[in-house]
Amino acid sequence: MRKSHPIRRVVLATAATVSGVVLLLSLKPASDPAAAAAAGAAPQPGAAARPSPQGGQRGGAAAGTVTGDAAQTQYGAVQVRLTVANGKITGAEAVQAPKGGVSDQKTALAVPRLNQEAVAAGNADIDAVSGATYTSTGYKKSLQSALDKIKASSPGSGGETGAGSGSSGGSGSSGDSGAARARTVTGRTAQTQYGPVQVRITVSGGRITRAEAVQAPEGGVSGQKTTLAVPRLNQEAVAAGNADIDAVSGATYTSTGYKKSLQSALDQAGG
Amino acid sequence: MTTTLAGGRAARRQTMRRIRPRRSPAVPLLIAVWAGAAAVLWLWWHNTPAIADDNGRILNAGRITGLLAGYLMALVVLQMARVPALERRVGSDRVARWHAMSGRYTLCLIVAHVFLTMWGYALQAGRTLGDVVQQTVDSVNQLPDMGKAAVGTGLFVLIGVSSVGGIRRRLPYDAWYHVHLLTYAAVFLTFWHQITTGNDFAVEPVAKTFWYGLYGAVTALVLWYRILTPLRLNIRHRMRVEAVIEETPGIVSVLIGGRKLHRMGAEAGQFFRWRFLAPGMRFSSHPYSLSAAPRPDMLRITVKAIGDHSSRLRELAPGTRVWAEGPYGALTAQRRSRGKVLLVAGGVGITPMRALFETLPGAAGDITLLYRANTTQDLALWDELAAIAEERGARLMYAVNSPDGERPDISAENLQRKIPDVDHHDVFMCGPPGFAQSVYEALREAGVPARRIHHESFEM
Repeated sequence: MRKSHPIRRVVLATAATVSGVVLLLSLKPASDPAAAAAAGAAPQPGAAARPSPQGGQRGGAAAGTVTGDAAQTQYGAVQVRLTVANGKITGAEAVQAPKGGVSDQKTALAVPRLNQEAVAAGNADIDAVSGATYTSTGYKKSLQSALDKIKASSPGSGGETGAGSGSSGGSGSSGDSGAARARTVTGRTAQTQYGPVQVRITVSGGRITRAEAVQAPEGGVSGQKTTLAVPRLNQEAVAAGNADIDAVSGATYTSTGYKKSLQSALDQAGG
Repeated sequence: MTTTLAGGRAARRQTMRRIRPRRSPAVPLLIAVWAGAAAVLWLWWHNTPAIADDNGRILNAGRITGLLAGYLMALVVLQMARVPALERRVGSDRVARWHAMSGRYTLCLIVAHVFLTMWGYALQAGRTLGDVVQQTVDSVNQLPDMGKAAVGTGLFVLIGVSSVGGIRRRLPYDAWYHVHLLTYAAVFLTFWHQITTGNDFAVEPVAKTFWYGLYGAVTALVLWYRILTPLRLNIRHRMRVEAVIEETPGIVSVLIGGRKLHRMGAEAGQFFRWRFLAPGMRFSSHPYSLSAAPRPDMLRITVKAIGDHSSRLRELAPGTRVWAEGPYGALTAQRRSRGKVLLVAGGVGITPMRALFETLPGAAGDITLLYRANTTQDLALWDELAAIAEERGARLMYAVNSPDGERPDISAENLQRKIPDVDHHDVFMCGPPGFAQSVYEALREAGVPARRIHHESFEM
């Protein structure tokens, strides 16, 4: 029964809503802090090592080095640096390892073998070198942290390449990196209601090591959907190794086009 | 008088048993609503790593308003689901006001959401603010479920326009009501684009599950309390008009018989929504308070013939089937916190007061009824009231206009003179809005705290 003040209420509700929304928007940073941190960790120029072979590329994903956190062991710190090309580990080295006396010996024995295992396995699930358990454990810890960093940075950078240029695809092509005998195959363009979709895959050792969209719908909502869907489709393609991947909900047309072009790329790679 | 429904001692004992002053659940409910809104905002916060530029800001403002609108829309429907906790404990009138308020706010959010999102998309596509209309057309054509959403939004705007004060007053009640029922269709139509195009639900399966849960729960409550519960009630009690009695010129009582009516759990002070299955009355239901304590075989409502519907009540034939929904309303004995009670009735507002006057437990001298009408002729149910007053030792007073038409002065001083300890009373009040407002002010001035003035008002 208290007197109601409709106008005052309208003004208050509007002011509260507008200022609340503006406050929320202004509290958001202009760039993703998580991605920025991962990208910042990637180059690490000061650490006294040979320059990475394909230094020209921008992010960690195409080619570059990632340094893991230093892991403390009883005999000293172990820190691993990985060289990554096209999403695969092509090199591993220990930037720090226990030194002095017996430790030197153990390091000399263990680290080269651990490096090899890391490249071969592509993950941190490697065997410890017997007689150098502490060093091995520290190595694996630091390796895992480096791998985590790669993982953290790849979806973001995948979104960038997926959305547009396709220029980064060139760097991974067959010629220079050699050892992995990776080659890229580009699928046929699939037309969708919102524009063409074209997929390029990198095949190495009979497996898809990388997938990206060279063309995808752009502009307006389509641009948004592309940013949403393409990175996930890329991941799914690499994980599945074939074109039998799930469509991203809310981006059905793009997903369908993607699968078509992916299938054609796989056909070419197989034949 | 034949219309007297003697509830008497038995009814009073029943009411006495039911008195356990309970706190209204309004505060915990409001806290839950705010917590839900915070959770929705958190969902947005969690799924938005960064906002790069103004375009992003506009799009994200669109997302925030859209998420909040989707959340509130479910609550706006929930408020009209006739959930007993809301209708009987918070009070139908208060919930209806919440509904109107949150409905208006939600409509504003929807409009803001559509505009901001389309503006943002237009900018993203390299267009300008002027292309918002074209962008909207494109989006409706191209995105999944956006056609449905556009129709739904149109319905929302229609419903909103039909509820604007001036337009609503000019519309017949039934027309307004049936337009309002379109809300269900509009909510259904706009629901799907939230799931298929909403970033937060595409990315977060958990959020999607919760959203389905929210809307599913509201749908279940609506089906249960608006359809199944009334069905069961009417199948069980089979109500029919027994008689129609003219109390005073323009005020009629309708006696309604049925089976085991005491099992409906209705209390004095509550109302039902009545639908009389007679030609021309079938399609509208109206809230009328019980004007006597419910008896196992009989209910009574007393209605002043003001509108179309209420004037037609006079012609109801005995035996007409009655479809009732209820009981609703929180203006019952459980609101009471003191021994002494003052009941204030204005005109036909006497109906719930008459039922309370009869049934409120109290010793002789505890209960006072103040009845305001234009003339003594208009004091409907007066004989009954006098009989109850005599039986219970309650005080009965009336205030009518003086012969030259001057209104009686219900002021703080007069109240205090007539009822010296008025500030120690609980006050129950029912009457037209202007009357209620002036009595409320007089009571406050006479020292009655606001929390002890119990009033039901269906003014928005």
